Amino acid sequence: MRPNNIRQIGIVTRYELLKYLRGRRLLAIILLTVIISAIFLVVPPAIGSQYSKDPTDFVMNMLRFLGVLSILSATFFGADAIVSEFESKTGYFLFPNPIRKTTIFLGKFIASALVSVGVIALYYLIAVVSVQVIDGSVPANTGLSFAYALVYLFAILAVAYLFSAMMRSSVYSLILTFFTFFLILPIVDAVGEFAKFKAWFSITFASGIATDILRNPYPTDTVIATTAGRGAGSATAGQMISIAQYYPEVTVSLVVIAAYFIVALLLAIVLARRREM
Amino acid sequence: MNETEDPIVIEHLSKNYGQQVALNDLNLTITSGMCVGYLGPNGAGKTTTIKILTDLLRATSGRAYLNGTDVIRHPEAALEGVGAVVETPEFYPQLTPRECLSYVGKIRGMSSDAIAKRSHAVLEQVKLLEVADKRTGQFSKGMKQRLAVAQALLHDPSILILDEPTSGLDPRGMVELRDLIKELKKAEITILMSSHLLNEVQEVCDNVAIIDRGILLTYDSVENLSAGQEVTLTIHTLEPVSPQDFEVIKALQGVTSLKRTENNKLIMSLSGGAQEQSKVLREILNSGVNVVSYTPQHAAIEDAYLHLIPKGDH
Repeated sequence: MRPNNIRQIGIVTRYELLKYLRGRRLLAIILLTVIISAIFLVVPPAIGSQYSKDPTDFVMNMLRFLGVLSILSATFFGADAIVSEFESKTGYFLFPNPIRKTTIFLGKFIASALVSVGVIALYYLIAVVSVQVIDGSVPANTGLSFAYALVYLFAILAVAYLFSAMMRSSVYSLILTFFTFFLILPIVDAVGEFAKFKAWFSITFASGIATDILRNPYPTDTVIATTAGRGAGSATAGQMISIAQYYPEVTVSLVVIAAYFIVALLLAIVLARRREM
Repeated sequence: MNETEDPIVIEHLSKNYGQQVALNDLNLTITSGMCVGYLGPNGAGKTTTIKILTDLLRATSGRAYLNGTDVIRHPEAALEGVGAVVETPEFYPQLTPRECLSYVGKIRGMSSDAIAKRSHAVLEQVKLLEVADKRTGQFSKGMKQRLAVAQALLHDPSILILDEPTSGLDPRGMVELRDLIKELKKAEITILMSSHLLNEVQEVCDNVAIIDRGILLTYDSVENLSAGQEVTLTIHTLEPVSPQDFEVIKALQGVTSLKRTENNKLIMSLSGGAQEQSKVLREILNSGVNVVSYTPQHAAIEDAYLHLIPKGDH
């Protein structure tokens, strides 16, 4: 008797996790997480500097690579999850079985999400234990920060799955995912700031809530008028210029991230279902 | 549901890739326990048919029923009793053959006990028991093909769909797989098998379907397709055949031509089926010629194939 869809999702998730546990990517990203954390813990004493006495500054500093680790997790565990079944012909083994393609998709997505959550959780755990040991307390909104980080992670994972369902080549899907979040959208965010336009719609801009929520009070947008010095772009020295610094609003950002997640996931499911071998 | 009880029923099945027609109104019914060879040149539509039957491709129009269930509308239900090997599948390099089998066994709802027992049995059948717990990453193409056959057999399917099943196998592997298919035939499993190897099809299949450019050209028994076809046989004799004996053989009923290629070797064309071949051999022996071997140059079915598939389609 064929198991129901929920049980089949669990079976796919289990075997996908087994593949990740035995693969090199998980080991690589765990090592990277540990190395990044170790650098923040080892370098200050090594150069005779002191750790920050403010737990919030300490944690924000340690979580500086949160975005990079999230993007790497989405790339490693999502960007070729679908396309590889077609490209490497493993689909000939899995698909001619009594299981829906949507079920396979969801099982894979849950497995990707679980390992990615594990990576981000490890990163937060190291930061939390470190700040507790060094400063004796943990910032109040660390839990909320972790929750926002996961919401962002799920959304970019969904986009990675969308690319994976669209692309014909694993390599292209991996490159597209990484550069979309690491380069293209951050450029949009930076250009927005330069042009004094708040890129609230950009998921990478919205992801700032994960670390900004640690600050008390939550930062607000600022436009600072200042005198241009030498080498200030097109402004001549002495000319008055304004510099904008925008911060994502929590509610708007959560809606934006949720929209990316829902739209990308639904589109990815439709494309994966329609895809032929 | 389809009203007939035939395990494989294909009705007006078509598949287009843009302007290109891969399958054109294909109709084929395979009765229970039948082993059918599916033949045709490259690009004829064999793999397209098999991919539609295994839900890897969507049909443009038409229906395909497996054990009475429409595979286009209800693929999960239709594939429950089906084992399939499509092309040479790859396996997840991080998993062992036993884990691969366990994966599909669980998807199919088999119990852990049943999976363990059947995995052992099918891995033994395909001679992969020794590497059952080694990861598949380093497996050769032949080993992957054997594992593909094992996963197709795991759940004791009533229908087996095989796309070039001996592809990638060494000669011993080919013989073993042919023997395995013969065993499965005894168990009344319905088999649809595409192949380029005509002698293989002639050896193991009951019926043959020949397709070209998406159109089914013929569907008949191996016997009927072979009958009436001219067969070319090579006759090796112990001593050179005398001119008198040569004339006697040439005059035998059914013999259409006879050539001496070497002292002890004759090439004979013969019309008719297996009975005629047997009768001619008996008469050659009765004439006192010492025959060492009497071998068809190619499978009888090859003639039917070559007759149906125009030159240039290969």
